[in-house]
Amino acid sequence: MVLVIGGAGSGKLDYVKSLGYSEDEIANGRLNDCKVVYNLQNIVFGDPERAPELLEALLAKEVVVCNEVGSGIIPLTQRERLAREATGRLCIQLAARAARVVRLVCGIPAVIKE
Amino acid sequence: MRILLTGGSGCGKSTFAERLARALPAPRCYLATMRPYDEESLVKIKRHQKQRSDAGFLTIERETDLGNIEFSAHGTVLLECMCNLLANEMFDEAGGERDVYDKILLDIGKLEQSCDTLIVVTNEVGSDDGTYDESTARYIETLGRLNRALAKRFDCVAELVCGIPLVLKGQLPTGE
Repeated sequence: MVLVIGGAGSGKLDYVKSLGYSEDEIANGRLNDCKVVYNLQNIVFGDPERAPELLEALLAKEVVVCNEVGSGIIPLTQRERLAREATGRLCIQLAARAARVVRLVCGIPAVIKE
Repeated sequence: MRILLTGGSGCGKSTFAERLARALPAPRCYLATMRPYDEESLVKIKRHQKQRSDAGFLTIERETDLGNIEFSAHGTVLLECMCNLLANEMFDEAGGERDVYDKILLDIGKLEQSCDTLIVVTNEVGSDDGTYDESTARYIETLGRLNRALAKRFDCVAELVCGIPLVLKGQLPTGE
């Protein structure tokens, strides 16, 4: 599995398409039988407490795309704080077992684990 | 040696910092700045305490004034973290606010003199839409300035991303 991360608007989707994936292979904010999961953070924010249960299903994907959500000011609501933490912790576990981790900054992909 | 570790929330900074400190010379001191103000922070403190329990850290809990801590011997100090320290120093419980930039740099300077290796954990809080009240905006700006000042004088700076250390300046010790 390839983990693609980066801030909102950093060019993650364009990067995934440049790898040869088409729109209908990319599932936006949901887990189905598509090869690519995009906007993983939306799935986690929907039910943060169950985020750890997603791990194995995500590892079976070809590409997982997630926003980096932890680098702003700490949110005021506990739910948002927990969701942000859960997203980060899930990404740490995904990164540990991913074949490759790519981080997008200004549209530039940097391989941070190979 | 002085090391600055930065990154967003939940990116693996604490875990990495503790692993790093374990490989550095004893005695090892964990300098905890988090104010236990509610159940959520207690849960976080307990998680961090559990992570450290087997690593032989002496824990010092200090919410402010890090410059006057007496250490019995030089060794490794892990300070966690700048975002709590700044909030504790900057805001009082009555809602008052102080300019603490110089004070914090001075306190950390004294810490640097008291140990062989200082690891400081900080946080990236400036990467969102940034529409906040003036006080929060000053907090974000001050933390950014402190991070820059520490990064400038420290030997090594690394950003944690999904648990992966990206070295921005210098080299991490022991081949990390």
